[in-house]
Order: sequence, then structure tokens, then C-alpha cells
Amino acid sequence: MAQTGTVMTFPGSESTSEETQLLTRLRFIENDRSGHYVVHVHLSALRASNRKPHFINIAAKTFDDLQNNFDVSLFKLDNADLVLLCKDVPVEEIDPVIHKTRQLFSEDPLTSSEDGSIDDRFSTWYDLVQQGDFVSFVENINLLSEQALDRQRKANGMLAANSLPGAVLVPGHIADIILKLQSVEIEDIIHSQTAVVIRPGATGSVLFCEQFVTMTELQKRIAPEINLFGSHWLFQYLTETIDRRLLGAIGQRDFESMSDSISMNLNISTVLGREFQHFHQQAGAYSAKIVIELQLIDVFSEMSAFADARDMLQENGYRVLIDGLNPLSLQFFDPALLESDLIKVNWGPEFNNEESGSRVEDMAQVVKNVGKDSVILGRVDSEDAVIWALTLGISRFQGYYIDTLVKAMVAKGII
Amino acid sequence: MADMESGPKHLASQENLLLSYMQRLEENKGDHMAVHLHLSSLKPYNRRAHHIRAAENGFENLIKSLNGQLFMIKNSDMFFFFKNEARAQTETAVQKVRFLFSDDPLLENEEADENRFSTWYDVGQQFGDLLHLIESMIETEDKRKKETRARMDTRTSLKVRQKEGEPITPEILARVESALERADLSNLVRRQFVCTVDAQMIPEQSFSEVFISIADLRETMVPGINLVSNRWLFQHMTESLDRRMLSLLSKNDALAISGDISFNANVTTLLSRGFQDFDDNIMASRRGSMIIELQKVDIFADLSAYLFAREFVQDKGYRVCLDGLTHNTMGMVERERLGADLVKLVWHSDMVDGGPDMHEKVRTVVKRANPSKVIMCRVDTREAVDFGQSVGIKMFQGHFIENLIAEDARRRELLRLKRRMERAEQGPENAVEEF
Repeated sequence: MAQTGTVMTFPGSESTSEETQLLTRLRFIENDRSGHYVVHVHLSALRASNRKPHFINIAAKTFDDLQNNFDVSLFKLDNADLVLLCKDVPVEEIDPVIHKTRQLFSEDPLTSSEDGSIDDRFSTWYDLVQQGDFVSFVENINLLSEQALDRQRKANGMLAANSLPGAVLVPGHIADIILKLQSVEIEDIIHSQTAVVIRPGATGSVLFCEQFVTMTELQKRIAPEINLFGSHWLFQYLTETIDRRLLGAIGQRDFESMSDSISMNLNISTVLGREFQHFHQQAGAYSAKIVIELQLIDVFSEMSAFADARDMLQENGYRVLIDGLNPLSLQFFDPALLESDLIKVNWGPEFNNEESGSRVEDMAQVVKNVGKDSVILGRVDSEDAVIWALTLGISRFQGYYIDTLVKAMVAKGII
Repeated sequence: MADMESGPKHLASQENLLLSYMQRLEENKGDHMAVHLHLSSLKPYNRRAHHIRAAENGFENLIKSLNGQLFMIKNSDMFFFFKNEARAQTETAVQKVRFLFSDDPLLENEEADENRFSTWYDVGQQFGDLLHLIESMIETEDKRKKETRARMDTRTSLKVRQKEGEPITPEILARVESALERADLSNLVRRQFVCTVDAQMIPEQSFSEVFISIADLRETMVPGINLVSNRWLFQHMTESLDRRMLSLLSKNDALAISGDISFNANVTTLLSRGFQDFDDNIMASRRGSMIIELQKVDIFADLSAYLFAREFVQDKGYRVCLDGLTHNTMGMVERERLGADLVKLVWHSDMVDGGPDMHEKVRTVVKRANPSKVIMCRVDTREAVDFGQSVGIKMFQGHFIENLIAEDARRRELLRLKRRMERAEQGPENAVEEF
């Protein structure tokens, strides 16, 4: 599934960036700073998923009333931070608005410490009348301004190098894309990523090898000028056709001589459709070696279809895996209720935060409910993640870091 | 055709073995007893393959010594039939199996005089009851299997196509969406009331849902096309509908709507410029009378976006309602945890037909969600209201409720006429007395 972009840029920020405007204002008031103070709201420290431009714009709007009624200016910095420059405004007027902004991000670790407490990382106040405060604030903004320019230059460079982002996907594009999808060469862009079981004493074994179509490659072939992830729902629609191509290609393989199990990500509608029936006729005898991954969003889209698909797969010997779980979703439902054979929870830094005690507890509960042998930690990108998970009893892993681990294990002849 | 082949013969399932075993047993039922182990009531994590195997193993000795026979059905429940003389041994075996699951909530909170784990039958005395129970369990299973097959059946999809129209394609979606931008939709706007209903089936309006009728939209724009045949394409179309709905709602004269209202929206809509404009344009006091209905698939597609949007709109004064939950999904998502003010449970006759266990399950999820926050929707029969009330639900929505409202209006009108007639009759006499 696609994660949407996270880099914040405000249009036109090269010439008269908000940072530059702010610095100009600061120079302007430097000699008479009476009554001036600043609240710096560190939205740049939010999790990437909360740092999207439209979130930040909405957060900025909570300051509208203050700006209309008091001498308050708001600066939206390039890194998503907000700076509120105030003159002669009673502090009591600011507090509730800052509190409201915190509330918007109440699920983010950034807001987990108490307002104004010693470990509050959400906002910093500067009394500009104090020389020390003034100097350190100006220093900070100078630094942020340089970083913003850097980012801008890099972003421009990247755009020139490959024009991948492309136009937003709209329904009018789809017919053409589907037509190309039906005939495009696909076998050579089906990649494989191994999920492993790690056992004590540095031994391990292959759990399965996930077979997937690399989206960036596919995009280059069928729609280089269109961002396939541009619309969540239309991308889902495209995956129905991608499923059929993947099933067709995998169905041709020689299952008899296949040493490791494989997994495939499919739509529920695909599993209940004719293409899967064909696939089953080719591969059904080896169903014990095949894991079918279903996406959580698809499960929630039609629960009864999911239950039918799961039962049908399990009755025919396939294993069912629920993909697309993350630390956040675990707080809102118990995946054990889905009665799948495996679940895949994507590793995220929020598991490893000092404030993430409750998330770790959620995970421990999930491991207990689902059974530790059924949990796979996905998107593992560091050794830390593995060590962390082992303490919870999780021993099944997949991700970039695991890829290198697998290579090393293969080289040593361990697996 | 596919339907004809679904007879019990071709599936030598445990259920069917069990049925034929019972037929054979009927001859000498007097010598036998049976115990039904309710493994299906255990938590899913206690019902995995190795648990079931362990439970099976508990009966191994009895089976080997030809003292009994074990059957397991698809929902993991087990039936063990044994000779009367093996009763003591069976009790020990069941006790041992029960011990395997002693940490399950089912058994942890069991009262001393309760037996939630097993039900015992004297086959001689209760043969009829037992047969009936097993047959109904098998029927449920068969029904489920048939439904699964139906989804995969070309014939069925053909039937849907003939009845509901040609499936929507991306090209048609593009056409519909561009037409949506221009068309005047005010005559496609429908309104359906959410009501509390008292014991006499008299409805009292609590708020109304305002929506664009998909059926009428289809008739006006693309007759013969099934707009909901692909949920991803439909979901995309709802984003266009959201925009039109917001513009209709901000023009008060276009829709003369009184009272509290609800409307559907996607999370992305709430985070869009369009919603902020809408919000800027309506009177602040109106926000408190508006309820925004969100779909669970949309919520789980991007939870962090939902949490942000919910916080944003609730802070402004809007209320949020989780739409489209079923008796299966409602147990999985907690209204309170998701911070929604209301939740809609879609009526389905399975809730009544599922028997006492299902009734209890629905009652529990309703209770957990808080009965005063639950709306039963798509109510099309009186049975739905009766059932809903029996599990604590107070608010209802659907065709049946619309009928109740119409009926109530007629009743009031009659009452008014009757009063007027009474006054008219009394009128002259009063007039005389006054003289």
C-alpha cells in the first residue's frame, strides 16, 4: 500500500520565504521589543503521517481568531513548524489555542507530555524582551532558514533527475492504464522478499518469500507521467488488474520443485473471483506452500466477503495473512478477531519511543491474543527493531534489514 | 448447475459423518450419552489448530478402547458420544480438556453453578433435541458455504447484472463525475429520519439524514449502470458527491431543512479546502446541529487522518457518527476508542435468526457502545425494531420508520378531525346555553 508524501513545501518559498519574512520582522522590532514574545510550535517533530500539508494548514487555521483580534502574526515555516509572534497579548488568550492545536494531534507521541511540563516538546516560548531569548530565537530561525533552502535545492534537483511524482490519477486515466496493464511484460518485475523465523542461537529458517510487482517499475512501464498512488481508491481499483496478472504469472511456476513457501498480496474480490479459481486448479495441490496476504482496508471494506474468502482459503489449505497493520491500528481493534493464520505488523519508530509504553503494551496484548507464532514484524529496517521484537516473543520478520540478514545467513549456509 | 451439487453426499464432512452416525445410533440410543463442548465460545486465540488438536487428544484413550466417538464441526465445537458405562472416564477427560482453557474469559468468569464449557445429553431421553441442534448447526454451515459459492458463480453475477445493471467502468465514472460538477442535484436530495420508537410503535424524530439518492442519480445520469458494483470506484465517486452535498448544504435556500441533520462525508473531504469554505460560510450555531457520518473503510484506510479530522470537526462543534457497522464488525471497533459520538448498526435478519448466542453477542456489543449512542439503520420490518429494543437500542432509521412516521401523521390528522367534529357537535348546544 502507498504511503503518501511527507516533505513539506510551501509554494514560492525560495524568494520571500516565511523564514525570511520572519527574520525581517525580527530585525524591524529589534530596537523596541517591549511587549513582544514568540510561541514556536514544533510541528516538524510530528510523525510523518501527521505532518501532511493539509494537516498543517488546518492546524494553522486554529490561530485565525487570534490573528483577527490581537496583534499576532503567524509564520508557517518550511519544516512545518508554526511561529506565533505576539505583541501585548494576554498569555491566557494564547493558552487555549495552543491547547486546541495539541488536541488535533492527540494521538501523536509529540503531544504525549503535559502542556508546559519539563519534557514538553510541543512548543517553546521566547520572551523577546529578554536579550538572551531574542538572540537564541533569531539563531534558531537562521538555522531553520538555511535548512529550508537546502531542502528546496534538493527537491528541485530530484524533480529534474526523475519526474516520477507525475499527475494525480483520475478516472479518465484508468482505461488506458488498464489496457497497458493487461499486456505489459510483468514477470521480470515480480520481486521476492523473504520473511524469516529467527531462532535462538543465531539460527533461522525461511517462513515464505513474498512475491510482488514493484510499483515504481510498473509505473515507468505503463504510466510514467501519472502518479499511480495519487488516489487511494483508484489505486485500489488498479490492484484488481495487477492481481490477475500476478496470479497468471505465479500460476505458471513449477510448484513441485519450489523449496520455500511463497506469499502474494491479493484483493478479496480477486480471491473470490474466477482468476483465483484458475490459479487454484494449477497450484491447489501445493496450497500448503502458499500464503495469501489480504489488506486490512479491504477486510474492513466488506467483512462478510473477507470471512468467506478466509474460510475458502483455509479450507483449501492456504494460509491467510492480514497485512497493513501498524502500531496505530493495533490501538483500535484486536486482529485476533479476524482469525487469520498470520498477521503482519509494520515496524514504526513509534514502537521505540520513550513515551510509547502504551503502544508496546498494545503489541504485547496482540502477541498474546494472536499467538506469538502468528505475528510477523514487517518493514524491519534496523537491528534495534529485531531486538525489540524478540523481547516480546516475536520471532518472524521481514524488511530491508532482514534482506541483508538473509544474504548473510545464506552465505554462511544457515538457511 | 452448481446449486444442485451441494447435497450432503459430496461433502464427507465431519458434520455429515455425525448425522449418519446419529441415524445409526437411533436403534440403540438407550445405551449412549453425549457431551457437546462449546469450543466456539472460546476466544479465537484459544481456538487455534494446536488447541483443537490438544482437545482431541484428550479423548484418544476412550476412542481407542471403542468406548466413544468424537466429531468436530467447522465452528470448532465438538460432540463426543459415549457408552453409559464410560461416563466417569468421559467426565475426567472433559475436565482435563476444560483445564487447557482455564485462562479463557469464558471459564475465568464462570459462576460456580454454571457450566459454560459443556452440555451433557442422555441420548436415549434427548435424542430429538440433540438431532435438532446438530441439524440446525449444519444448516448454518451449509448456508454459509452456499453463499461463498454464490459469490464465485458466474450465473449469480449474471443475475446481479440483469437486475442491477451493467457494472460501472472507469470511463463511466469519469463521465458521471464531470456531470456531477455541473448538474443541479437539489431534486435528488432525500431525507430520512432517525427516530426513537416507544412501546406503542410511535416514532419521535431525533434528527434526519440528508443524502443524494444513488438510485435516482443513476436513473437521471446513467440508466442501466450499476454504480455500486465496484466499491473502489464507488468510493471515489462519493468524494465528488461530498463536494456537491457541502455546496447544497451551505445554500440554505436550496434545501429547506429544519432540525438536526446528518450527512455523509469522506475523511479526505473534511480535510479539504472545500470543507473549510463550507465551515466558514455556515452560521456557527448550525455546527452543533450537524452530524457527520463516516464509513469504517474510510476510517481504517488512514487512521491518523481520521483521528485528526475527527478532532478538528468535533472541536468546531460537529458530531461524528460511524456509519455502516454490522453485527460482525461492531464487536471489532470501539465507538468510544474511536471518539465517535454515534454509531449506526445495519439491520440484518441474521441477528434474530442466529439464536440466543447471537442475541447475547449483539446485546453485548450494543451495551459496550452505549445503547443511547446506537442507531439501528436500514430497518425495514417491525421485527427489526422489536429485536433492536430487546437489545437496548432506542434509535431507528429506515423504510419501516418512514412508514411509522406517515402512519403517525395520519393518526394525528384523524384525531384532529375527530376533535373538530366533536366540537362541531357540541357547538350549537354550547351556543344555546350561553344565551
